[in-house]
Amino acid sequence: MKFRPFVLLTMALASLSGFPVNAAQTQSHDPETGTTTWQTRVHGVTLLLTQIPPDPARAFYFNRGFPLQAVERYATACVFMTVLRNDAAPGELSFRLDDWRVQSEGRTQPPTSVEAWMEQWQALGLTEAAQIAFRWAQFPPEQEYAVGEWNQGMLTTGLPPGSRFDLIARWTVAGKTFEGTLENVVCAR
Amino acid sequence: MSFVRAESRMKQGLFTFMLACMAAFPVAVAVAAADLPPLTQGLTQIAEPKPAPALRLVDLDGREHDLADLKGKLVVVNFWATWCPPCRREMPSLESLRTRLDKHGLVVLAVDVGEDADTVFSFSGQLEPAPNFPLLLDQDSKAMQRWKVKGLPTTFVIDPQGRVIYRAVGGREFDSPAMIEALLALTPNH
Repeated sequence: MKFRPFVLLTMALASLSGFPVNAAQTQSHDPETGTTTWQTRVHGVTLLLTQIPPDPARAFYFNRGFPLQAVERYATACVFMTVLRNDAAPGELSFRLDDWRVQSEGRTQPPTSVEAWMEQWQALGLTEAAQIAFRWAQFPPEQEYAVGEWNQGMLTTGLPPGSRFDLIARWTVAGKTFEGTLENVVCAR
Repeated sequence: MSFVRAESRMKQGLFTFMLACMAAFPVAVAVAAADLPPLTQGLTQIAEPKPAPALRLVDLDGREHDLADLKGKLVVVNFWATWCPPCRREMPSLESLRTRLDKHGLVVLAVDVGEDADTVFSFSGQLEPAPNFPLLLDQDSKAMQRWKVKGLPTTFVIDPQGRVIYRAVGGREFDSPAMIEALLALTPNH
């Protein structure tokens, strides 16, 4: 098989660490649930966000003993089912959600932290069972994934329903920082 | 009672009823059709195996199970919850794994986090195949914390000497040929 020089150059560039290999973002809509999923694969890592509309979020937490006030506060905080998966990174990755960024209308902030929510639930006097369910249903605040490892959990941006934003996810492999971005993501209404 | 207050109470009651009805379907439904990652078919080897943390919990019938009593067996410890979508996806494959390898000395313990016996029992009845391994209750999540689990599901493989030799963060296809072969080689009676 023969390769043209520019093809070889492209392949060589693609093999360099830091080059956004397979970084194309995809978007799909599920007519059955009415939700949209945004997904990208970059540096051997898959990042995926699926809208969780307010009604299913309300149902989930109401069913776990949350009072209406708490249910409403969370369900309207722009909730996403989030997946980060190490498919083929050059080693074990680690991340902290505090390092991720949500960019919307010129403002940049990290996703709402699990700790911030837990403080609210404690202040509201939620039962231990409700707090445990909440804590472990969230996307992990920090985690390490060897190749093949992944988690799926809920993540909130704190933006109003219908907001548009970019999510920048960051992780490190062997001390080197990588980024994956999902652009023009929309909070469910 | 004023009409406004009565109407407000009626609305609140209706809202509560609607939420109760919606609670019948989990949030997983809302994302069920999403392009979810496939269940992984491999395990992550622990570079320096260490003795497993203590694990002594009751099952759905109130019977106590102690990991320390399972020395000499290959034990798969799976932390999960009924509301966790990848946990639900992988659970039937754990039973399939147990069916194939129990005669070789493999034992599965599934530790449910933060839920009561009724909830877990109700869910397990929906599974096909139904789990025939102990479903343990870690209602205060203390065991999960002791095992330093950061997300669900997380699974550990404990060798016959009681050491943690493999881990799996995220959903697995435990009955894939590769997994069966790898775990069979670790069983005491293979």
